[in-house]
Amino acid sequence: MKRLALFTVILAGVLFAATASEFPRLGDPDSAPSRHLSPAYIQGSLPQTHTPNFVTAVLGDYRGFDTMFETAVVFLAGMSCFFILRALRRRGLTEVYYYRHKPTGVVLAMLAPRRISPRTSCFERIDADWTPQDMVVETMCLFMVPFIQVFALYVIAHGHYSPGGGFQGGVLLAASFILVGLSRDLRTVESLLTEKTAILTAAAGVCLYAGTGLLALFFGGNFLDYGAYASFFGAAVPAARSMGILIVEIGVALTVMATLVTIYKLVSSRGTVEEGL
Amino acid sequence: MDIVMYVLLGLGLLFFTGGTLGLIRLPDVYSRLHMAGKIDTMGSISLIAALFLHEIETFDMAHLLVGLKILLVLFFQFLASPTACHAMVNACLRAGLAPWVKDGQRSDP
Repeated sequence: MKRLALFTVILAGVLFAATASEFPRLGDPDSAPSRHLSPAYIQGSLPQTHTPNFVTAVLGDYRGFDTMFETAVVFLAGMSCFFILRALRRRGLTEVYYYRHKPTGVVLAMLAPRRISPRTSCFERIDADWTPQDMVVETMCLFMVPFIQVFALYVIAHGHYSPGGGFQGGVLLAASFILVGLSRDLRTVESLLTEKTAILTAAAGVCLYAGTGLLALFFGGNFLDYGAYASFFGAAVPAARSMGILIVEIGVALTVMATLVTIYKLVSSRGTVEEGL
Repeated sequence: MDIVMYVLLGLGLLFFTGGTLGLIRLPDVYSRLHMAGKIDTMGSISLIAALFLHEIETFDMAHLLVGLKILLVLFFQFLASPTACHAMVNACLRAGLAPWVKDGQRSDP
């Protein structure tokens, strides 16, 4: 069996080496894709989709199927992490909850969770490996978060004109949540974006993308042909395609953000989403 | 205007040279992070400020917009880079990494 596998690998290598010399050189202007395909995209993307950045036009419109299933793959990756890493019952972990009296610094260990309101109570819940908060890092990180989120929205919306788009903007949004988690603690992130909300958001992103494609069928176009929305938006067909690209980019960003935050929570807390970084 | 730009460029390059030398040559993580902080704050900020001055030399709306974005980069770098440096040094101290001392000198606990 091993010998057969080795033979297959060597055969594939020889075939590859034999055919590699027939490939066109990188950037060869006389090769088949450079003669027909690339000029069609480069010259056609602006009149057909009203999108000056033709990378975004190719990603969101010409190759919409590919990007839709990429989004689905991101969602599936998040779901697999959830099902593999999530500790359903906290058996084996010590079920001790630590509460710190803020004025004196005395820490109480409790065998059951206590409900405290963070504003009025002088106790705060802390992690088992708690270290005193560093004021410089916490203040600066929380100061940066809104700017990062505004920049993320800019990257999502400005993908038509400059490098950017749903994947990059989604990663930036997730980074702002992770920064809160790093500078405060995991429970703050959990209160901002709970596990349930995150997974629903990730699913909603995929549904937004696929739903945009599916709705085009009811307007008389093909699947993922956003030009069919021209009558709905009251605009020309290329402008409607531009709007369609923006909508699916938002779906991609939602999925990427929620998936990354979910994975961060699971990995940093050993699957319990109780306490961690 | 040009002279200020050249002085800022030279200053930035000087800080970059010194910081890189220190990053390679200094003995322990604290002094190396000190040098990294020098590169990130003073070096980059001088270079970015020089870029800003170069950008607004032709003074119109488009150049001013780009210059404003460069100033934003400068502002956030000025805030974020010392914070990152501080966080790393803090983590090193909490992990119990002793600072390097010269032979024969007492290390301050």
